[in-house]
Amino acid sequence: MKRFPALILALLFFVLGGLHTHVAAQALKDGNAKGAHAAAPALKITLPRKDGSVRFLAIGDTGTGSNKQQELADVMLRSHAAFPFETVLLMGDNMYGGEGPKDYLNKFENIYRPLIDQKVKFYATLGNHDEPAQRFYEHFNMGGKEYYRFTRGSVAFYSLNSNYMDKKQVEWLNSELSKDTSKWKIAFMHHPPYSSGGKHGSDKSLRKVVEPIFLKHGVNVVLTGHDHFYERVKPQKGIYYFVTGAGGKLRSGDVMKNSPLTDKAFDKDMSFMLIEIADDQMYFQVLSRTGTTVDVGVLPLPKKA
Amino acid sequence: MKYNMGILAVIALVLIVTPSPAGLVQGNVDRLAQTQNAVLIEEQKKLVKAFDSHIKDYLRQRDRVRKKLPKLSKDATAEQIHAYQVSFVEALRAMRAGTKPGYMFQPAFADHIRAIIKDEFKGTERVELRQEVLEADTKGVPLRVNYPYPDNKELTQIPPTLLLRLPQLPKEVKYRFVGTNMLLVDTDNSLIVDYMTKALP
Repeated sequence: MKRFPALILALLFFVLGGLHTHVAAQALKDGNAKGAHAAAPALKITLPRKDGSVRFLAIGDTGTGSNKQQELADVMLRSHAAFPFETVLLMGDNMYGGEGPKDYLNKFENIYRPLIDQKVKFYATLGNHDEPAQRFYEHFNMGGKEYYRFTRGSVAFYSLNSNYMDKKQVEWLNSELSKDTSKWKIAFMHHPPYSSGGKHGSDKSLRKVVEPIFLKHGVNVVLTGHDHFYERVKPQKGIYYFVTGAGGKLRSGDVMKNSPLTDKAFDKDMSFMLIEIADDQMYFQVLSRTGTTVDVGVLPLPKKA
Repeated sequence: MKYNMGILAVIALVLIVTPSPAGLVQGNVDRLAQTQNAVLIEEQKKLVKAFDSHIKDYLRQRDRVRKKLPKLSKDATAEQIHAYQVSFVEALRAMRAGTKPGYMFQPAFADHIRAIIKDEFKGTERVELRQEVLEADTKGVPLRVNYPYPDNKELTQIPPTLLLRLPQLPKEVKYRFVGTNMLLVDTDNSLIVDYMTKALP
Protein backbone atom coordinates (compact mmCIF):
# COMPACT_ATOMS: atom_id res chain seq x y z
CA MET A 1 0.00 0.00 0.00
CA LYS A 2 2.90 2.39 0.77
CA ARG A 3 4.24 1.73 -2.70
CA PHE A 4 1.05 3.05 -4.37
CA PRO A 5 1.84 6.85 -4.33
CA ALA A 6 5.36 6.15 -5.60
CA LEU A 7 3.91 4.12 -8.45
CA ILE A 8 1.52 6.95 -9.41
CA LEU A 9 4.37 9.46 -9.30
CA ALA A 10 6.52 7.24 -11.52
CA LEU A 11 3.63 6.85 -13.96
CA LEU A 12 2.99 10.62 -14.01
CA PHE A 13 6.67 11.28 -14.62
CA PHE A 14 6.66 8.82 -17.51
CA VAL A 15 3.55 10.31 -19.13
CA LEU A 16 4.70 13.93 -18.80
CA GLY A 17 8.18 13.06 -19.99
CA GLY A 18 6.74 11.38 -23.05
CA LEU A 19 4.46 14.32 -23.72
CA HIS A 20 7.37 16.75 -23.52
CA THR A 21 9.42 14.69 -25.97
CA HIS A 22 6.44 14.64 -28.35
CA VAL A 23 6.03 18.43 -28.18
CA ALA A 24 9.72 19.01 -28.88
CA ALA A 25 9.66 16.56 -31.78
CA GLN A 26 6.54 18.20 -33.20
CA ALA A 27 8.17 21.61 -32.84
CA LEU A 28 11.19 20.42 -34.78
CA LYS A 29 8.90 18.97 -37.44
CA ASP A 30 6.97 22.25 -37.70
CA GLY A 31 10.15 24.20 -37.49
CA ASN A 32 8.52 27.19 -35.89
CA ALA A 33 8.22 26.80 -32.13
CA LYS A 34 10.69 27.71 -29.44
CA GLY A 35 11.51 24.02 -29.07
CA ALA A 36 12.82 24.05 -32.62
CA HIS A 37 14.88 27.12 -31.88
CA ALA A 38 16.51 25.44 -28.89
CA ALA A 39 17.37 22.33 -30.87
CA ALA A 40 18.37 24.04 -34.14
CA PRO A 41 22.04 24.02 -35.12
CA ALA A 42 24.02 27.22 -34.63
CA LEU A 43 23.95 29.61 -37.55
CA LYS A 44 27.09 30.30 -39.51
CA ILE A 45 27.55 34.03 -39.15
CA THR A 46 30.46 35.25 -41.23
CA LEU A 47 30.34 38.91 -40.18
CA PRO A 48 33.56 40.01 -38.47
CA ARG A 49 32.06 41.32 -35.19
CA LYS A 50 34.74 43.98 -34.81
CA ASP A 51 35.11 46.02 -31.63
CA GLY A 52 33.06 49.21 -31.74
CA SER A 53 31.25 48.30 -34.95
CA VAL A 54 27.62 49.27 -35.59
CA ARG A 55 25.47 46.16 -35.95
CA PHE A 56 21.89 46.02 -37.09
CA LEU A 57 19.30 43.95 -38.87
CA ALA A 58 17.12 45.14 -41.76
CA ILE A 59 13.80 43.54 -42.63
CA GLY A 60 10.66 44.66 -44.40
CA ASP A 61 7.02 43.84 -45.05
CA THR A 62 6.78 41.81 -41.89
CA GLY A 63 3.31 42.33 -40.45
CA THR A 64 1.33 39.24 -41.34
CA GLY A 65 1.37 37.38 -38.04
CA SER A 66 1.85 34.16 -40.00
CA ASN A 67 3.75 31.03 -38.98
CA LYS A 68 6.34 31.84 -41.61
CA GLN A 69 6.94 35.29 -40.12
CA GLN A 70 7.45 33.50 -36.80
CA GLU A 71 9.88 31.04 -38.36
CA LEU A 72 11.94 33.88 -39.78
CA ALA A 73 11.82 35.64 -36.40
CA ASP A 74 13.26 32.47 -34.86
CA VAL A 75 16.20 32.68 -37.26
CA MET A 76 16.59 36.36 -36.32
CA LEU A 77 16.76 35.34 -32.67
CA ARG A 78 19.32 32.64 -33.40
CA SER A 79 21.41 35.10 -35.37
CA HIS A 80 21.24 37.55 -32.47
CA ALA A 81 22.84 34.93 -30.24
CA ALA A 82 25.80 34.71 -32.63
CA PHE A 83 25.83 38.32 -33.76
CA PRO A 84 24.41 40.58 -31.05
CA PHE A 85 22.87 43.45 -32.99
CA GLU A 86 21.28 46.28 -31.02
CA THR A 87 18.96 47.67 -33.70
CA VAL A 88 16.36 46.40 -36.17
CA LEU A 89 15.24 48.59 -39.07
CA LEU A 90 11.72 47.92 -40.31
CA MET A 91 11.11 48.81 -43.96
CA GLY A 92 7.36 49.32 -43.57
CA ASP A 93 4.18 47.31 -44.02
CA ASN A 94 4.57 46.57 -40.36
CA MET A 95 0.90 45.67 -40.09
CA TYR A 96 -1.14 44.07 -42.86
CA GLY A 97 -4.90 44.07 -42.44
CA GLY A 98 -6.33 45.60 -39.29
CA GLU A 99 -4.41 47.71 -36.80
CA GLY A 100 -6.23 47.09 -33.55
CA PRO A 101 -4.42 46.26 -30.30
CA LYS A 102 -4.60 42.54 -31.09
CA ASP A 103 -2.94 43.14 -34.45
CA TYR A 104 -0.01 44.92 -32.81
CA LEU A 105 0.28 41.93 -30.51
CA ASN A 106 -0.09 39.16 -33.10
CA LYS A 107 1.79 40.75 -35.98
CA PHE A 108 4.63 42.32 -34.02
CA GLU A 109 4.97 42.03 -30.25
CA ASN A 110 4.42 38.31 -29.79
CA ILE A 111 6.63 37.48 -32.74
CA TYR A 112 9.62 39.62 -31.79
CA ARG A 113 9.14 39.50 -28.00
CA PRO A 114 12.40 37.57 -27.31
CA LEU A 115 14.38 40.29 -29.14
CA ILE A 116 12.48 43.13 -27.45
CA ASP A 117 13.18 41.47 -24.09
CA GLN A 118 16.89 41.48 -24.95
CA LYS A 119 16.71 45.28 -25.37
CA VAL A 120 16.91 45.20 -29.17
CA LYS A 121 15.33 48.44 -30.44
CA PHE A 122 13.13 48.42 -33.52
CA TYR A 123 12.99 51.55 -35.71
CA ALA A 124 10.09 51.61 -38.15
CA THR A 125 9.23 53.38 -41.34
CA LEU A 126 5.72 53.56 -42.82
CA GLY A 127 4.56 51.49 -45.78
CA ASN A 128 1.39 51.60 -47.85
CA HIS A 129 -0.32 49.26 -45.40
CA ASP A 130 0.53 51.31 -42.31
CA GLU A 131 -1.57 53.97 -40.64
CA PRO A 132 0.46 57.04 -39.68
CA ALA A 133 -0.71 56.50 -36.07
CA GLN A 134 1.96 53.77 -35.83
CA ARG A 135 4.44 56.59 -35.26
CA PHE A 136 3.24 56.77 -31.65
CA TYR A 137 3.78 53.09 -30.92
CA GLU A 138 6.26 52.46 -28.14
CA HIS A 139 8.16 49.65 -29.89
CA PHE A 140 8.59 51.45 -33.21
CA ASN A 141 10.69 54.27 -31.70
CA MET A 142 9.52 56.87 -34.21
CA GLY A 143 9.12 59.63 -31.60
CA GLY A 144 5.71 60.54 -32.97
CA LYS A 145 7.21 61.46 -36.36
CA GLU A 146 6.52 60.11 -39.83
CA TYR A 147 10.18 60.68 -40.77
CA TYR A 148 13.12 61.01 -38.42
CA ARG A 149 16.84 60.61 -37.93
CA PHE A 150 18.93 58.81 -35.34
CA THR A 151 22.57 57.88 -35.04
CA ARG A 152 24.66 54.91 -33.94
CA GLY A 153 28.40 55.52 -33.82
CA SER A 154 29.56 56.77 -37.20
CA VAL A 155 26.24 56.00 -38.86
CA ALA A 156 23.29 58.35 -39.33
CA PHE A 157 20.00 56.63 -40.13
CA TYR A 158 17.19 58.43 -41.95
CA SER A 159 13.76 56.84 -41.75
CA LEU A 160 11.69 58.31 -44.59
CA ASN A 161 7.99 58.11 -45.35
CA SER A 162 8.08 57.18 -49.04
CA ASN A 163 4.32 56.70 -48.98
CA TYR A 164 3.90 60.44 -48.58
CA MET A 165 7.03 62.29 -49.72
CA ASP A 166 5.66 65.84 -49.59
CA LYS A 167 7.41 69.20 -49.75
CA LYS A 168 7.83 69.43 -45.98
CA GLN A 169 9.62 66.09 -45.86
CA VAL A 170 11.84 66.96 -48.82
CA GLU A 171 12.82 70.23 -47.12
CA TRP A 172 13.49 68.44 -43.83
CA LEU A 173 15.65 65.82 -45.55
CA ASN A 174 17.67 68.46 -47.38
CA SER A 175 18.14 70.47 -44.23
CA GLU A 176 19.14 67.52 -42.00
CA LEU A 177 21.54 66.05 -44.55
CA SER A 178 23.20 69.39 -45.21
CA LYS A 179 24.26 69.53 -41.53
CA ASP A 180 25.19 65.87 -41.27
CA THR A 181 28.90 65.09 -40.91
CA SER A 182 28.45 61.36 -40.22
CA LYS A 183 30.77 59.05 -42.11
CA TRP A 184 27.91 56.76 -43.15
CA LYS A 185 24.48 58.03 -44.08
CA ILE A 186 21.85 55.35 -44.49
CA ALA A 187 18.32 56.06 -45.66
CA PHE A 188 15.59 53.50 -45.18
CA MET A 189 12.06 53.64 -46.52
CA HIS A 190 9.36 51.42 -47.92
CA HIS A 191 9.35 52.03 -51.68
CA PRO A 192 12.48 51.18 -53.69
CA PRO A 193 13.90 53.78 -56.10
CA TYR A 194 15.60 50.81 -57.80
CA SER A 195 14.17 47.30 -57.91
CA SER A 196 13.81 44.44 -60.36
CA GLY A 197 10.38 43.48 -59.09
CA GLY A 198 7.85 42.40 -61.68
CA LYS A 199 4.89 43.40 -59.52
CA HIS A 200 6.15 46.83 -58.40
CA GLY A 201 9.76 47.45 -59.48
CA SER A 202 11.59 50.78 -59.39
CA ASP A 203 9.61 53.69 -58.04
CA LYS A 204 10.65 56.27 -60.63
CA SER A 205 8.62 59.13 -59.22
CA LEU A 206 10.26 58.66 -55.83
CA ARG A 207 13.65 58.32 -57.47
CA LYS A 208 13.21 61.64 -59.31
CA VAL A 209 12.66 63.38 -55.99
CA VAL A 210 15.07 61.67 -53.57
CA GLU A 211 18.02 60.61 -55.70
CA PRO A 212 19.30 64.16 -56.34
CA ILE A 213 19.14 64.82 -52.60
CA PHE A 214 20.99 61.60 -51.77
CA LEU A 215 23.67 62.42 -54.33
CA LYS A 216 24.04 66.02 -53.24
CA HIS A 217 24.52 65.15 -49.57
CA GLY A 218 26.41 61.88 -49.83
CA VAL A 219 23.91 59.24 -48.74
CA ASN A 220 25.81 55.94 -49.05
CA VAL A 221 23.24 53.22 -48.59
CA VAL A 222 19.48 52.98 -49.20
CA LEU A 223 17.48 50.12 -47.69
CA THR A 224 13.93 49.47 -48.88
CA GLY A 225 11.08 46.94 -48.99
CA HIS A 226 7.71 46.84 -50.83
CA ASP A 227 8.85 44.13 -53.25
CA HIS A 228 8.64 40.84 -51.38
CA PHE A 229 12.10 39.47 -52.04
CA TYR A 230 15.75 40.29 -51.47
CA GLU A 231 17.80 42.20 -54.03
CA ARG A 232 21.23 43.77 -53.94
CA VAL A 233 21.12 46.31 -56.73
CA LYS A 234 24.24 47.23 -58.68
CA PRO A 235 25.53 50.52 -57.23
CA GLN A 236 23.65 53.39 -58.82
CA LYS A 237 25.64 56.62 -59.17
CA GLY A 238 27.80 55.44 -56.28
CA ILE A 239 24.94 54.58 -53.90
CA TYR A 240 24.25 51.03 -52.64
CA TYR A 241 20.55 50.08 -52.91
CA PHE A 242 19.00 47.02 -51.29
CA VAL A 243 15.48 45.62 -51.32
CA THR A 244 14.72 43.53 -48.24
CA GLY A 245 10.96 43.11 -48.34
CA ALA A 246 10.47 39.43 -47.59
CA GLY A 247 10.09 39.56 -43.81
CA GLY A 248 6.49 38.38 -43.67
CA LYS A 249 5.44 37.84 -47.27
CA LEU A 250 7.15 36.31 -50.26
CA ARG A 251 6.51 36.99 -53.93
CA SER A 252 8.22 33.93 -55.31
CA GLY A 253 9.71 34.30 -58.79
CA ASP A 254 9.02 38.05 -58.94
CA VAL A 255 12.59 39.19 -59.60
CA MET A 256 12.80 39.89 -63.33
CA LYS A 257 15.24 37.58 -65.04
CA ASN A 258 18.29 39.27 -66.57
CA SER A 259 17.45 42.59 -64.94
CA PRO A 260 20.33 45.00 -65.56
CA LEU A 261 19.89 46.26 -62.00
CA THR A 262 20.53 43.02 -60.16
CA ASP A 263 23.84 42.15 -58.56
CA LYS A 264 22.25 39.42 -56.46
CA ALA A 265 18.64 38.49 -55.82
CA PHE A 266 16.75 35.86 -53.87
CA ASP A 267 13.02 35.26 -54.20
CA LYS A 268 12.69 31.63 -53.18
CA ASP A 269 12.07 32.17 -49.47
CA MET A 270 11.68 34.88 -46.86
CA SER A 271 14.81 36.65 -45.66
CA PHE A 272 16.45 39.47 -43.69
CA MET A 273 19.79 41.27 -43.72
CA LEU A 274 22.42 41.45 -41.01
CA ILE A 275 24.70 44.45 -41.38
CA GLU A 276 27.88 45.47 -39.62
CA ILE A 277 29.63 48.77 -40.20
CA ALA A 278 33.21 49.07 -39.09
CA ASP A 279 35.26 52.09 -40.15
CA ASP A 280 35.10 52.28 -43.95
CA GLN A 281 33.54 48.87 -44.52
CA MET A 282 29.96 47.67 -44.58
CA TYR A 283 29.69 43.91 -44.10
CA PHE A 284 26.40 42.19 -44.80
CA GLN A 285 24.93 38.73 -44.65
CA VAL A 286 21.45 37.76 -45.79
CA LEU A 287 19.73 34.80 -44.16
CA SER A 288 16.64 32.91 -45.23
CA ARG A 289 13.89 31.30 -43.16
CA THR A 290 15.88 28.06 -43.09
CA GLY A 291 18.96 29.85 -41.78
CA THR A 292 20.75 29.52 -45.11
CA THR A 293 23.03 32.35 -46.19
CA VAL A 294 21.74 33.67 -49.50
CA ASP A 295 24.09 36.61 -49.95
CA VAL A 296 27.19 37.84 -48.17
CA GLY A 297 29.81 40.48 -48.84
CA VAL A 298 31.60 43.64 -47.89
CA LEU A 299 31.22 47.06 -49.47
CA PRO A 300 33.65 49.94 -49.10
CA LEU A 301 32.50 53.43 -48.07
CA PRO A 302 31.79 55.09 -51.42
CA LYS A 303 34.24 57.86 -52.24
CA LYS A 304 32.79 61.37 -52.33
CA ALA A 305 32.23 62.64 -55.85
CA MET B 1 22.78 101.48 -111.17
CA LYS B 2 24.44 102.59 -107.94
CA TYR B 3 21.18 104.32 -107.01
CA ASN B 4 19.17 101.14 -107.66
CA MET B 5 21.55 99.04 -105.57
CA GLY B 6 21.19 101.55 -102.72
CA ILE B 7 17.40 101.34 -102.83
CA LEU B 8 17.55 97.55 -102.86
CA ALA B 9 19.86 97.55 -99.82
CA VAL B 10 17.49 99.83 -97.89
CA ILE B 11 14.49 97.66 -98.82
CA ALA B 12 16.37 94.54 -97.73
CA LEU B 13 17.29 96.16 -94.40
CA VAL B 14 13.69 97.21 -93.80
CA LEU B 15 12.49 93.68 -94.58
CA ILE B 16 15.01 92.20 -92.15
CA VAL B 17 14.20 94.46 -89.20
CA THR B 18 10.45 94.72 -89.74
CA PRO B 19 8.38 91.82 -88.39
CA SER B 20 6.52 89.93 -91.09
CA PRO B 21 2.71 89.88 -90.97
CA ALA B 22 3.01 86.24 -89.86
CA GLY B 23 5.52 87.29 -87.18
CA LEU B 24 3.16 90.03 -86.04
CA VAL B 25 0.33 87.54 -85.71
CA GLN B 26 2.57 85.10 -83.80
CA GLY B 27 3.69 87.88 -81.45
CA ASN B 28 0.10 88.83 -80.72
CA VAL B 29 -0.82 85.19 -80.09
CA ASP B 30 2.11 84.85 -77.64
CA ARG B 31 1.10 88.01 -75.81
CA LEU B 32 -2.51 86.83 -75.67
CA ALA B 33 -1.41 83.43 -74.35
CA GLN B 34 0.72 85.13 -71.71
CA THR B 35 -2.21 87.27 -70.63
CA GLN B 36 -4.50 84.26 -70.57
CA ASN B 37 -1.91 82.30 -68.54
CA ALA B 38 -1.62 85.18 -66.11
CA VAL B 39 -5.41 85.28 -65.72
CA LEU B 40 -5.49 81.50 -65.34
CA ILE B 41 -2.73 81.52 -62.74
CA GLU B 42 -4.58 84.25 -60.87
CA GLU B 43 -7.78 82.13 -60.99
CA GLN B 44 -5.86 79.08 -59.77
CA LYS B 45 -4.37 81.08 -56.93
CA LYS B 46 -7.86 82.11 -55.86
CA LEU B 47 -9.05 78.48 -55.95
CA VAL B 48 -6.10 77.30 -53.87
CA LYS B 49 -6.61 80.15 -51.43
CA ALA B 50 -10.26 79.17 -50.96
CA PHE B 51 -9.22 75.54 -50.49
CA ASP B 52 -6.61 76.55 -47.88
CA SER B 53 -9.27 78.52 -46.07
CA HIS B 54 -11.58 75.44 -45.91
CA ILE B 55 -8.68 73.33 -44.65
CA LYS B 56 -8.06 75.90 -41.91
CA ASP B 57 -11.74 75.71 -40.93
CA TYR B 58 -11.37 71.97 -40.59
CA LEU B 59 -8.20 72.31 -38.52
CA ARG B 60 -10.00 74.68 -36.14
CA GLN B 61 -12.81 72.14 -35.64
CA ARG B 62 -10.27 69.37 -35.24
CA ASP B 63 -8.28 71.33 -32.69
CA ARG B 64 -11.37 71.97 -30.57
CA VAL B 65 -11.97 68.21 -30.41
CA ARG B 66 -8.31 67.25 -29.92
CA LYS B 67 -7.84 69.59 -26.96
CA LYS B 68 -10.53 67.72 -25.05
CA LEU B 69 -8.79 64.36 -25.56
CA PRO B 70 -6.02 62.99 -23.33
CA LYS B 71 -2.67 63.62 -25.03
CA LEU B 72 -1.23 60.66 -26.90
CA SER B 73 2.34 59.95 -25.79
CA LYS B 74 5.14 59.40 -28.31
CA ASP B 75 5.67 55.93 -26.89
CA ALA B 76 2.08 54.80 -26.48
CA THR B 77 0.80 51.26 -26.20
CA ALA B 78 -1.35 49.77 -28.95
CA GLU B 79 -4.39 50.11 -26.66
CA GLN B 80 -3.73 53.81 -26.05
CA ILE B 81 -3.35 54.48 -29.79
CA HIS B 82 -6.60 52.66 -30.53
CA ALA B 83 -8.53 54.42 -27.75
CA TYR B 84 -7.23 57.81 -28.89
CA GLN B 85 -8.20 57.20 -32.53
CA VAL B 86 -11.68 55.97 -31.64
CA SER B 87 -12.52 58.86 -29.33
CA PHE B 88 -11.00 61.37 -31.75
CA VAL B 89 -12.97 60.17 -34.75
CA GLU B 90 -16.25 59.82 -32.86
CA ALA B 91 -16.09 63.33 -31.42
CA LEU B 92 -15.06 64.81 -34.76
CA ARG B 93 -17.85 63.02 -36.62
CA ALA B 94 -20.38 64.36 -34.15
CA MET B 95 -19.05 67.89 -34.56
CA ARG B 96 -19.06 67.67 -38.37
CA ALA B 97 -22.40 65.93 -38.70
CA GLY B 98 -24.19 67.02 -41.87
CA THR B 99 -21.01 68.00 -43.76
CA LYS B 100 -21.62 67.59 -47.47
CA PRO B 101 -19.13 66.21 -49.99
CA GLY B 102 -17.39 68.82 -52.09
CA TYR B 103 -17.01 71.26 -49.23
CA MET B 104 -13.26 71.38 -49.85
CA PHE B 105 -13.05 69.89 -53.34
CA GLN B 106 -15.35 72.49 -54.88
CA PRO B 107 -16.02 71.91 -58.60
CA ALA B 108 -13.54 74.45 -60.01
CA PHE B 109 -10.86 73.39 -57.54
CA ALA B 110 -11.47 69.70 -58.35
CA ASP B 111 -10.99 70.53 -62.05
CA HIS B 112 -7.72 72.23 -61.15
CA ILE B 113 -6.57 69.07 -59.34
CA ARG B 114 -7.62 66.89 -62.28
CA ALA B 115 -5.62 69.11 -64.64
CA ILE B 116 -2.49 68.82 -62.47
CA ILE B 117 -2.75 65.02 -62.31
CA LYS B 118 -3.40 64.77 -66.05
CA ASP B 119 -0.40 66.95 -66.79
CA GLU B 120 1.85 64.98 -64.43
CA PHE B 121 1.05 61.56 -65.85
CA LYS B 122 1.23 61.03 -69.59
CA GLY B 123 1.73 57.97 -71.79
CA THR B 124 3.20 54.98 -69.99
CA GLU B 125 3.38 56.87 -66.68
CA ARG B 126 -0.38 57.35 -66.81
CA VAL B 127 -0.89 53.63 -67.47
CA GLU B 128 1.47 52.70 -64.61
CA LEU B 129 -0.24 55.09 -62.19
CA ARG B 130 -3.69 53.71 -62.99
CA GLN B 131 -2.42 50.15 -62.65
CA GLU B 132 -0.79 50.82 -59.25
CA VAL B 133 -3.79 52.70 -57.86
CA LEU B 134 -6.50 50.46 -59.24
CA GLU B 135 -4.76 47.27 -58.08
CA ALA B 136 -4.45 48.55 -54.51
CA ASP B 137 -6.47 46.88 -51.79
CA THR B 138 -8.94 49.74 -51.30
CA LYS B 139 -12.20 48.00 -52.16
CA GLY B 140 -14.67 48.67 -49.38
CA VAL B 141 -13.35 52.11 -48.48
CA PRO B 142 -16.54 54.14 -48.13
CA LEU B 143 -16.81 57.06 -50.52
CA ARG B 144 -18.52 59.06 -47.81
CA VAL B 145 -17.57 62.21 -46.02
CA ASN B 146 -17.25 61.99 -42.24
CA TYR B 147 -16.68 58.22 -42.25
CA PRO B 148 -13.45 56.61 -41.08
CA TYR B 149 -11.05 55.10 -43.61
CA PRO B 150 -10.96 51.40 -42.61
CA ASP B 151 -7.73 50.41 -40.85
CA ASN B 152 -7.47 47.16 -42.82
CA LYS B 153 -7.31 48.91 -46.19
CA GLU B 154 -4.23 49.98 -48.10
CA LEU B 155 -3.14 53.63 -48.16
CA THR B 156 -1.93 53.96 -51.72
CA GLN B 157 1.23 55.98 -52.19
CA ILE B 158 0.80 59.39 -53.77
CA PRO B 159 3.66 59.63 -56.29
CA PRO B 160 6.13 62.18 -54.89
CA THR B 161 6.43 64.16 -58.13
CA LEU B 162 2.66 64.66 -58.04
CA LEU B 163 2.61 65.48 -54.35
CA LEU B 164 5.10 68.27 -54.95
CA ARG B 165 2.73 69.84 -57.49
CA LEU B 166 -0.53 69.51 -55.58
CA PRO B 167 -1.52 72.29 -53.19
CA GLN B 168 0.40 71.65 -50.00
CA LEU B 169 -1.57 70.30 -47.05
CA PRO B 170 -0.86 70.65 -43.34
CA LYS B 171 0.50 67.51 -41.67
CA GLU B 172 -2.90 66.74 -40.15
CA VAL B 173 -4.50 65.91 -43.54
CA LYS B 174 -3.38 63.80 -46.48
CA TYR B 175 -4.38 63.15 -50.08
CA ARG B 176 -5.27 59.51 -50.80
CA PHE B 177 -6.28 57.69 -53.98
CA VAL B 178 -9.13 55.21 -53.76
CA GLY B 179 -9.99 53.78 -57.15
CA THR B 180 -10.20 56.74 -59.51
CA ASN B 181 -11.21 59.06 -56.68
CA MET B 182 -9.12 61.32 -54.51
CA LEU B 183 -9.81 61.61 -50.81
CA LEU B 184 -8.69 63.96 -48.07
CA VAL B 185 -8.03 61.83 -44.99
CA ASP B 186 -7.10 62.90 -41.46
CA THR B 187 -3.61 61.68 -40.56
CA ASP B 188 -4.33 60.78 -36.93
CA ASN B 189 -7.89 59.53 -36.85
CA SER B 190 -8.42 58.40 -40.50
CA LEU B 191 -11.58 60.47 -40.95
CA ILE B 192 -12.54 61.01 -44.59
CA VAL B 193 -12.71 64.79 -44.61
CA ASP B 194 -13.77 65.16 -48.26
CA TYR B 195 -13.43 63.45 -51.64
CA MET B 196 -13.60 64.14 -55.36
CA THR B 197 -14.44 61.68 -58.14
CA LYS B 198 -12.67 61.02 -61.45
CA ALA B 199 -9.34 62.29 -60.23
CA LEU B 200 -7.31 59.79 -62.24
CA PRO B 201 -6.80 60.57 -65.93
